[in-house]
Amino acid sequence: MTKRQLVTRLVYLLVAGAAVVSLAGMGLLDPVEIARAVARLGSFVGDLFPPNPTVLPTLARAMGETVQIAFVGTLLGFLFSFPLAFLAAQNLFGITVTGPVRFLLGIVRTIPSLLWAVVFVVAFGLGPAAGALGVAFYTVGYLGKLYYEAFEGVDPEVVEAVKSVGGTRLQLLVYAVLPESANALVSQFLFMFEYNIRSSTIMGFVGAGGIGFYMLGYLQLLQYRNLLTALLLTLAVVMAVDYASGKLRALVLPAVPRRTRS
Amino acid sequence: MEYRWALEVQDLWFSYNGTADVLRGVNLRVEKGLLTMLLGRSGSGKTTLLKVVKGLLKPQKGALTVLGVPFAGERKSASREVAYIPQNLGLVRNLTALENTLTGALGRSGPFLSLLKVFSKETVEEARECLALLGLEGKHQEKAYNLSGGERQRVAIARALMQRPRLILADEFVSQLDPVMGFEIMEMVREIARKGVSLLITTHEMGIAARYGDRAVVMKEGMVVYEGTPYEVGEEGMLELLR
Ligand SMILES: Nc1ncnc2c1ncn2[C@@H]1O[C@H](COP(=O)(O)OP(=O)(O)O)[C@@H](O)[C@H]1O
Ligand SMILES: [Mg+2]
Repeated sequence: MTKRQLVTRLVYLLVAGAAVVSLAGMGLLDPVEIARAVARLGSFVGDLFPPNPTVLPTLARAMGETVQIAFVGTLLGFLFSFPLAFLAAQNLFGITVTGPVRFLLGIVRTIPSLLWAVVFVVAFGLGPAAGALGVAFYTVGYLGKLYYEAFEGVDPEVVEAVKSVGGTRLQLLVYAVLPESANALVSQFLFMFEYNIRSSTIMGFVGAGGIGFYMLGYLQLLQYRNLLTALLLTLAVVMAVDYASGKLRALVLPAVPRRTRS
Repeated sequence: MEYRWALEVQDLWFSYNGTADVLRGVNLRVEKGLLTMLLGRSGSGKTTLLKVVKGLLKPQKGALTVLGVPFAGERKSASREVAYIPQNLGLVRNLTALENTLTGALGRSGPFLSLLKVFSKETVEEARECLALLGLEGKHQEKAYNLSGGERQRVAIARALMQRPRLILADEFVSQLDPVMGFEIMEMVREIARKGVSLLITTHEMGIAARYGDRAVVMKEGMVVYEGTPYEVGEEGMLELLR
């Protein structure tokens, strides 16, 4: 056996050992405990059915709020991520500008939207405003990164050609970088909106508006039939939004060949 | 300003990574109002030289005089009168032929109105004339990605002309076209030179160089090994130089 093989085997062994220790520590290797858990889960699933349609009107209103949180959050996030992405693109600015902006985006991105929402509940009080701002902040960090990468993905020859006419950096943005990356920008905006619909559903857990408030309440009050109704409604809306944004994407994004020659 | 040479290059050195020199003491003079063909095998440094002349790359050493103006280091594209057409043309695929042509006027347009894609009537008229001159009347509103190779080539020329250039640098200009189309385009380019614009065009095809070049320059391993007319050396001699 070579040294390399020996090391590989040792690593496998270590990973397996760590897995066993961790599982045992969590009680996941105890057959009695597992049997009990399965039984409890069975009765929980039984308690979920049938869904309760009488709470639908309330939930529909809350779900509407969730969609609004996602919509406003994505839009606000887009408005701020765009100029930041411009400043973070290395084919447009030097490292002294892009460095700090990227650092800022990185920090914003590290904090999940739910945590941002907690911060804004403290600042603005309970309600969807906090949720929308939470979503917006996370969107700035995430979309900002996607956008500066899209800007940097623009064919360097196009950038050089437009640079060569002696225009300003803003002209470069409007005449080369934006038209060349427009498809990616639209596509990533829609992706972000889909993502934000999902994360907005749990904003209510921290009092930041939307359907999550009811989910948490039903869970705490053991009203599992109502909970299932909320989950099904969420699923339906998420699927509808995914479908709609897929259609929209096909509508606004023509199939453009990557590069055409002769 | 009066000047004798469109371009003067003296002992120009350039390296991308600081160790391997790509340009190794280039000496070159490009005559005003002529079509100079820059020949050289792939990797000999033609593209790099054009980018240095345009100011997109900063040379480590050497002197450069462009249109009579000595140019130190990375000159901000004050070289508005120097047009550069990259190898793959650098057209914006999502913009129309007319919009691509208008970008050539960005350097002399109002920096704010142009951001809203508003150009003066005269500028738009000039762009239309440029396109018409190159036989693209019916294609103004066609997106660049819908144009054929020859049409795209002509849009790139139109964009360069919108800069009202006195020197045009074009990289591997007709190398990717079929020969007939290539000759057609080169005829148009020759017309431009006849109007007093100097042109420096790189190619690796001797046929094009011999046929259209008023002057020929041969590069080899980052140096200029021949400067003269294409017929002085002949195709045989050129082949020998390139080897
Ligand atoms: N961006 C780059 N970074 C590093 N090396 C490069 C780069 N561009 C070109 N080179 C190298 O410089 C040399 C000259 O290239 P180039 O100027 O493109 O030659 P040509 O246009 O005559 O084919 C080649 O060896 C090439 O590999
Ligand atoms: Mg080249």
